[in-house]
Amino acid sequence: MSWISRWRMRRDAELNEELEFHLAMREQWNRDRGMQGDMARRNARLRFGNPQVWRERMHEMGWATLPQSVLQDVKYGLRSIRRNARFTAVAVIALTIGIGINTTVFTAYKALLKRGVEARDASSIVSLNQVRQSGKREKQFSYPDYEAYKQQTHTVIGLIASGQQFEQLIMSDAGGSISDRQAASESLFSRWGLVPSPTNASKAELASITTVSENYFAVLGVAPLRGRFFSEEDRKSLPAAPAVLISENYWQKRFGGDPAIVGKAIRLNGVAVTIIGITPRDFVGTLIGVPDFWAPLSLQPVIHPGDRSLRDLESPCCMVYGRVSPDSSMAQVQAEMSAIAAQRTKLHKVKDAKDTTKGISILPGSPFAMDLDRNLRFAIFLMMLATAMVLVIACANVASLQLARAAARQSELGVRISLGASRRRLIRQLLTESALLGIIAGVLALLCSWGMLRILAKEAKDTLPANMGTFIVNVNPDAAIFSYVFGISILAGVLFGLAPSLESTRSALSTWMKANTAMAPARNRRLRDWLTGGQVAVSFVLLIAGSMMVRSAFHALTMNTGYETAHVIDLTLQFPQGPEYDSARQNALLSHIIERVGAMPGVAEIAKGRPPDGGGLRSAAVAIDGKRPDSHNMNAYLFYTYVDANYFHALDIPIVYGRGFHQGAAAPEPTVVLSETAAQKLWPGQNPIGRALEMDSDGQFHERNELLPDRRSYQVVGVTRDVRGVLIDNSDAAEIYLQIPENRRNEFPTLVRTSIAPGRLTHGIEESIASVDGNIVASASTLSDMLKQTPPFLVSGLVALIAGTIGLLGLLLAAMGIYGTLSYMVVLRTREVGIRMALGARRAEVLWLLLRQSSVPVIYGLLVGCLLAMADFYLLRKVLYGVGPLDAVSYSSISTLFLLVALAASFVPARRATRVEPSVALRYE
Amino acid sequence: MHGWGITLHIQSVSNEVLRIEEGSLYPALHRMEKAGWVKAEWGLSENNRRARFYKITAAGRNRLRSEQEKWESVAQAIALVLRSKALA
Repeated sequence: MSWISRWRMRRDAELNEELEFHLAMREQWNRDRGMQGDMARRNARLRFGNPQVWRERMHEMGWATLPQSVLQDVKYGLRSIRRNARFTAVAVIALTIGIGINTTVFTAYKALLKRGVEARDASSIVSLNQVRQSGKREKQFSYPDYEAYKQQTHTVIGLIASGQQFEQLIMSDAGGSISDRQAASESLFSRWGLVPSPTNASKAELASITTVSENYFAVLGVAPLRGRFFSEEDRKSLPAAPAVLISENYWQKRFGGDPAIVGKAIRLNGVAVTIIGITPRDFVGTLIGVPDFWAPLSLQPVIHPGDRSLRDLESPCCMVYGRVSPDSSMAQVQAEMSAIAAQRTKLHKVKDAKDTTKGISILPGSPFAMDLDRNLRFAIFLMMLATAMVLVIACANVASLQLARAAARQSELGVRISLGASRRRLIRQLLTESALLGIIAGVLALLCSWGMLRILAKEAKDTLPANMGTFIVNVNPDAAIFSYVFGISILAGVLFGLAPSLESTRSALSTWMKANTAMAPARNRRLRDWLTGGQVAVSFVLLIAGSMMVRSAFHALTMNTGYETAHVIDLTLQFPQGPEYDSARQNALLSHIIERVGAMPGVAEIAKGRPPDGGGLRSAAVAIDGKRPDSHNMNAYLFYTYVDANYFHALDIPIVYGRGFHQGAAAPEPTVVLSETAAQKLWPGQNPIGRALEMDSDGQFHERNELLPDRRSYQVVGVTRDVRGVLIDNSDAAEIYLQIPENRRNEFPTLVRTSIAPGRLTHGIEESIASVDGNIVASASTLSDMLKQTPPFLVSGLVALIAGTIGLLGLLLAAMGIYGTLSYMVVLRTREVGIRMALGARRAEVLWLLLRQSSVPVIYGLLVGCLLAMADFYLLRKVLYGVGPLDAVSYSSISTLFLLVALAASFVPARRATRVEPSVALRYE
Repeated sequence: MHGWGITLHIQSVSNEVLRIEEGSLYPALHRMEKAGWVKAEWGLSENNRRARFYKITAAGRNRLRSEQEKWESVAQAIALVLRSKALA
């Protein structure tokens, strides 16, 4: 027994003793004055007054009775929750969904997009950005610049750089492998067909690697799990004795936690390196995922022979972060860095004055290289809005239930008041009940969102392409978000639970006996109608928006891409690096492979070129009619891609007019083929055939020694139909096709057009490649699989999934709320029904009356919802693919559903009420 | 004095004019105890039963004085009003 109840029992005993003593004394006194025994006792009790009221008054008087009466309130509350199981269940489910989904979504948002860097004392880590004259922010610094800032700064202790995130390298000599491909193909998303499971045609071992400055770990302040980290002092010796670190995650996954890993020698891109240490589990530093290996930046030229990026002042190399010294302010850092930037700018040769650096901006450390795309931000905003709407529905739901219940409880409250409970006490009681409801829902919601976040994180980890490393997101429900959401929903519950109760306690004594519950104050009823209508309207909008999103995603999925996707295999070959595999040898091997694969039955055609849905977009400034492009006379930035002559045929891209490339020319003629959009952009309304253009890819992203179309005039010979690309805004539909020179074909992906299902060919292709050269690493996937991984597809798929889920939850909540409230209201009118029946109303008439009155708020809600949904479409139209504003099927089916719920909710109890004997109904409570 | 004693006392001093519901004395006593005007402890009554004895405190005496003054001034005022009416 707790101390409270022990203490309470003692107190009760004392009160009773005092009472008994008084009664005994009075009885004695009466008897002394000649009253009979019985009479004496009765008189004593009469004079004392009602002992029950007396006890209640003594109890609530305070006298340190608070803990006890709270306990009593809780007990009453639990009892009433048990007694009204249906009401409780509905309210708890609504609150749980509302709180749970909001906590989940907002936590995920915070964990994903608002994350900082992982370091000891992370708040003193900042990111550096160069601010261009044009106002654009640039996060990538060149390596010489980074070195200069590092040497000259005094306000920052330790400036670190992280290079290309997640580069894929070929790993060899690593010993027996433990396969990890299973996990991805078994993930939920891929089973639902949302993302393809990775296919691998060879025994390729690709490992992701991130290059960082040597002082990276020291500045971030992390300790190795085993072995040691490389340090600033190793810089001299590293190129001669290459060393890398392995992440704990990859150590476990690939090497099964082999204890002898530290000191082990493996090969990356053919270069022997030694693993000298293990980074802690899930350590991401300034990234968002864990790479398999961490390599020092000074190894860059070793791993990539011929790479000069460490010496090149103009080539973007790394993102730069620093730890601000405790004695410097942000403003000081900013001033100092901008001063260094001013010096550095003079060294740079920049073509366009807009691209010179005018200063450095210091921002809180963040792993995100760039600001989010506008459309994506908008989509995220919409999702947040939709989530908040679910909370609104849940609150309205609980509020209207509370109102309905308050009406039903008026008689109960009346009884308690007449038994001597004070108003304050009753209010406290109601508060306790609402709070109990909220606590139950809060605990459930916390559990739910904990589980949901765990599942989401696991799914995200499993389904994201392996070349992004192991995606890490910290997903414990955020306490601040949870308490905020929890607070809002409890407040809604309590406010609406309390307001009508206040009213009923005020008038309870005088009215409850006479009026009973059927005549609940009209104001409450109007409020309830508003709430019901509001719920219907909001969830209608959510559902319509959800269905539009889902249909738009399916539209995106099934939309004609303009080229063949199902029967084309993208075959990427990676040759070992090193002098023995020079480009001549690579090309010789390649033609061998093409010959072998081309001879396989089921293979129709083989062409080289970047698939439209693959990575590696390249763009260039374009000038026309004999002019050299520079910032003054260029016509547009357009995308260009190198293809074989038979590329258009292999991919079924029709040539609209003009011709394609000539096949078999050793050095291709200087001709280009344009897509329709590109032609339209360069020569609007004119015939482009025979015109000339020149391109300049300077300042655009490309790799070293890559084939560039610069400084040459090209003649337009043909125009093709547009194909759908990988950019969300579809701007890569404007494409310039160039022909691949014979001696550079090894640099491009191989596209295999099949006449049978591609799945039946992958094994054969793999064998052919292995028979030509076992050291070549090949990966293959069909273009339709690749398409599913393109941003437009992933974004719309994800949006559809989330919007659909939120819409469905909204529907569930609203249906529950409408059903709960309306059926409760009808039950409350049982007495009124009894009176009407007794007065001779016909059953059908009464039924009709109840149904009509119940559906009025729903119909109003639907009307408002329709209007809002149309406005909503106007907002959404940018992120929707080919969906019209008025979709009769969705609108009518959802409205019908709501009406049916409303009718069912009132019909079932109404029919029961009309079946009851009027005399029973009259006495009904 | 215990509750019963107080009851008797009021009854006899007021010549049985003030006959209140006896139970309502106790909430008043407990409230005064909470406010610190009286102190209560368990003791033995004249007939050897356990009873709760109440004793006025210094704070209670002060309060009593101020309440008494207030009451007297009100009673006087009422008396004045009634008398003037009676004269009229």
